[in-house]
Amino acid sequence: MSRRKKIGREYLLRILSLCLSVSKKGVDPFEVEVKKILNSISRYLSEWELPEDFKLDIETLSQLSSIVELQARWIKNLSSSLYVDPLLIELKIKMLSSEQLKTVFAKCWHPIVEMQQLVPKRVKEAIDYWNLLPPTEERWPKLEDQKINGVDQTTFEELKKQGLIAEATFEDSIKEMWEKLKSKGDEVSFWEFIRSDSYEEAAKRAYLTSFLVTYGYATMKIDSLKEQVYLIPFKEQQRKTNRRQGVSIPLSIAKTELNKVREA
Amino acid sequence: MSTPSYTNKMKKAVQMLFFRRHRQPGVKGWELKRSLGRDYMKVIQILNNRLRDIGMKVKTVYEDQTNREKPTREQLEKARFFVTVSDPSAIDTLSGWRVDDIAALTAAVAYINSKQGKAPRKEVEKLLKEKLPNWRVEKTLNMYIRRGYLDEDEDKILFLGWRSRAEIDQKLLSTLLLKQPTE
Repeated sequence: MSRRKKIGREYLLRILSLCLSVSKKGVDPFEVEVKKILNSISRYLSEWELPEDFKLDIETLSQLSSIVELQARWIKNLSSSLYVDPLLIELKIKMLSSEQLKTVFAKCWHPIVEMQQLVPKRVKEAIDYWNLLPPTEERWPKLEDQKINGVDQTTFEELKKQGLIAEATFEDSIKEMWEKLKSKGDEVSFWEFIRSDSYEEAAKRAYLTSFLVTYGYATMKIDSLKEQVYLIPFKEQQRKTNRRQGVSIPLSIAKTELNKVREA
Repeated sequence: MSTPSYTNKMKKAVQMLFFRRHRQPGVKGWELKRSLGRDYMKVIQILNNRLRDIGMKVKTVYEDQTNREKPTREQLEKARFFVTVSDPSAIDTLSGWRVDDIAALTAAVAYINSKQGKAPRKEVEKLLKEKLPNWRVEKTLNMYIRRGYLDEDEDKILFLGWRSRAEIDQKLLSTLLLKQPTE
């Protein structure tokens, strides 16, 4: 790869990252000098040969267009009556006492009005439910009284032998899997990752892997064309938010599938 | 204007708007349309006139977080409708909130609003830490997120939540803040 091409790619990646950061963090979109960047991008255009390069070029242009849209919205907001200089607001907040801030809030707070009411139909449903509910003694049979002859101390080893405590906690197991996944690279095939000599171990690995994704230690990428599933580990656990709805991806880990992977 | 048909529809609208049907209060436009018919906005208008006399109003919060003069049919169907108190001066107490909590909420909402609706959590925390102890700032911000006043994304950027958009007059908040005399 020529040096110029390499520099061009790095430039596009840098611009992409800048655009994404500006749109996410809500900073002034005019910090992105769109015209200057477009000129620079056009200079690298003749270097591109591979589809990946063109894809990167298109993606950068698309992000730049989003920045132009943000700039338009920014100007619209500045010219609207809603606009107040953030610095002025910050200064004012710092100078006002809690009591003054409370007074301001009280003048512009319109709380939602809600009511609660029990209707006769619901009361009847509750009575019926109560009448049909078996006594707790029937629902949760009492444990047989055990005679306690004496209280003695035990050790962790003894508890492990009796199967009362596990060798490692579930969280430890997940973290161990996370470390393994991170050590395998940036993008690891799901089937490769859970591959094991025994079916039981592979199933256990798949089970723990599902929690890696659910708890935000890694994410999944599905290549529908190649019918491949990849795991991408995160360097840090990602916090869950309620803005994005998670998607469940069912994966069958039948013995035949695992055998295919083992034989491959 | 309120014929028997509209009176019945208005009663139905009152039930829908006052009694919570979902985890969040309020009703979506399409739900009102399904129960009240195509002219549901006319019913809401009549109800609004009645509510005004007792210090309440129907507040419409649009999905794209903007205030609209002339919303389209689709925007109305996707919007959420709430009943709110129209005159804040009629409220004697602030529902048992601590003064600190209200002050911090006012600061956070005003700051995020001035930053075009979103600001990094760290910036908001820094602002609040000027007046609140560190441990309290995190706890308070999490409380606002739980109650729907603020919203946070995976990049730790804070936005105004659905409750702020329904309950707080943001324009008035900024104006009053700037007008407040400093000590």
